[in-house]
Amino acid sequence: MKENIKVLIIDDEVDFCYFVKKNLMKDELFNVIIATNGQDGIELAKNEEPDIILLDLFMPDMPGEDVAAALKENTVTADIPILFVTALATNDDIVDSEENKIGNNYILPKPVRTKKLIETIMKILSKH
Amino acid sequence: MFFFIISLTTMSSRFGYLMINTLFFSVIYAWLLYQKGLLTDPMAVSYLIQIPFIIVIAMFYGYLITTRLKDKDVRIHEAWERYEQIVQATDVLMCIVDHDGKFLFTNQKLVKFYGYQDEKSLYGLTISQLHNEDETEAEKSLNYVRSVYQNNDMVQYESYDKNHGVWFSNTLSPIRDTSTQDVFAVCIISKNITDLIAKEKKLNDTVGLLIKTRGQLIQKDKMAALGRLASGIAHEIRNPLEIIYMGVDYLENNLPNDNPHVRESIEKIFNAVSRADNIIKNILSFSRQSEYKITQRPLCPLLDNVLKLAEQMIQKNGVSVQRKYDDELLEVAGDYNMLQQVFVNLVNNAVDAMKDRKEKILTVRAYKQLATEVGYKTGYRRADFFSIGDEMIIVEISDTGRGIPAEALPKIFEPFFTTKSANEGTGLGLSIAHMIMDRLSGTIDVESRENQGTTFFIKLQPKIKVMDAKEM
Repeated sequence: MKENIKVLIIDDEVDFCYFVKKNLMKDELFNVIIATNGQDGIELAKNEEPDIILLDLFMPDMPGEDVAAALKENTVTADIPILFVTALATNDDIVDSEENKIGNNYILPKPVRTKKLIETIMKILSKH
Repeated sequence: MFFFIISLTTMSSRFGYLMINTLFFSVIYAWLLYQKGLLTDPMAVSYLIQIPFIIVIAMFYGYLITTRLKDKDVRIHEAWERYEQIVQATDVLMCIVDHDGKFLFTNQKLVKFYGYQDEKSLYGLTISQLHNEDETEAEKSLNYVRSVYQNNDMVQYESYDKNHGVWFSNTLSPIRDTSTQDVFAVCIISKNITDLIAKEKKLNDTVGLLIKTRGQLIQKDKMAALGRLASGIAHEIRNPLEIIYMGVDYLENNLPNDNPHVRESIEKIFNAVSRADNIIKNILSFSRQSEYKITQRPLCPLLDNVLKLAEQMIQKNGVSVQRKYDDELLEVAGDYNMLQQVFVNLVNNAVDAMKDRKEKILTVRAYKQLATEVGYKTGYRRADFFSIGDEMIIVEISDTGRGIPAEALPKIFEPFFTTKSANEGTGLGLSIAHMIMDRLSGTIDVESRENQGTTFFIKLQPKIKVMDAKEM
């Protein structure tokens, strides 16, 4: 595991991004970059090659699924794990609660607290 | 004497008798004349000579009268036959009864229908005796006869003959005295309407089915709309909630730790947010009816898992758990997650209800039972989940808690009804449980005694119910 984990947040909720950045960067472990729409997110992912991407499912310019598909198509970003942090899911949706997964995607229902978010990120990264 | 003979002869109704009588009386007259020595009397002899004439005249009159009578006879006979034809050849059961329902007349159809030899064997019997195995019908028939007498008016009613399985439409009409207009008998005409009733029932069933299907469609539509609304609400509310969470996390990290009020305030904010989130979660499960995956699976491991999930809370509250499974291999048809949600909810409620009690026993029973009594969603109607004689898998979750007040009992499955404080419950748990059970073709029921405890009965389908083609 790297010393400094680069996290890319793609979410149109600016305040959410702001607080996640603040809270994650309190531990020096994380380096957080932000994109507030899907297109910017894909570009940033290509340029910055983050260790993990936190992705919203519902964004005005393009749905999270499409962003994820675009990322998977590009060889540079294809292997970056994606964690959907979304208000549309509930804990009941997570079939495999050990892995926080719906199908092949990691998922974390909003609202979530910083502690749980960090735990989930670490758990996913430990598998990659 | 002379006129006496003539009158006698004319009175004879039959032609043959007339001749014999005329001859007989003429001879007697001649003999009487001879006895009195009057045969020489020219007057008397002239009378005697008149006799053949008289006979001829008498014969002529007699003939006229008898043919007339014969004509009348034939006409009466014809009328009677016509009447017989109508009364006997008709398909209806017909009878005339008196005030007590005693038969004065019955047609052959009625005699045969009730299995009697002939009309005579019914005389002396009353109409109520036709239904002697069905007391209510017997009484009904007699009451209607009396009402016709009382009201001097026609009555119509429908009756069911259990023994024959036949429905009748009965028309009772008063038979009145022509001068006084008083009722002196009642004519009852009973028409077999079994086929009609069957057709009517079929029609009603079809209409019922249509109404039900319409209801289902509306429900489906409503659920879909609610689903869209709920996910919209979830998204719109959860995002700000998330910001509150993250923001408070940030404040917590950056505020001075030594102030206990700060910690307390932050804790209160978190609680409020999770309360709001809970309501959203519940509304979401309300709207997610279409996502059920009904499979057949073992029941007991599911119940064990529920108890495991609640283990921490059970231990924290010092509740002892009794598992009473009749058969470890019981299987139920249901959606695993939904069933789990129902049971977790009930276990949580049970533990909550025992918080301030000395005796804290949570009992979970599972057993098989046949449906024997008509009840909620149980019976002979098509919409029922269990027919009489069907196998049901029953789960009982009992506590020794404070019980539910009788006045609250009918309301506990209503959305947002709760006796808990705002911090403890949303008031949606049981209404969701009820909705889930409905969806799984099962039922949830409750029995409670104040200060003794509450038992929830969950009745489940043992096998996946293949939807009746008629039902779709």
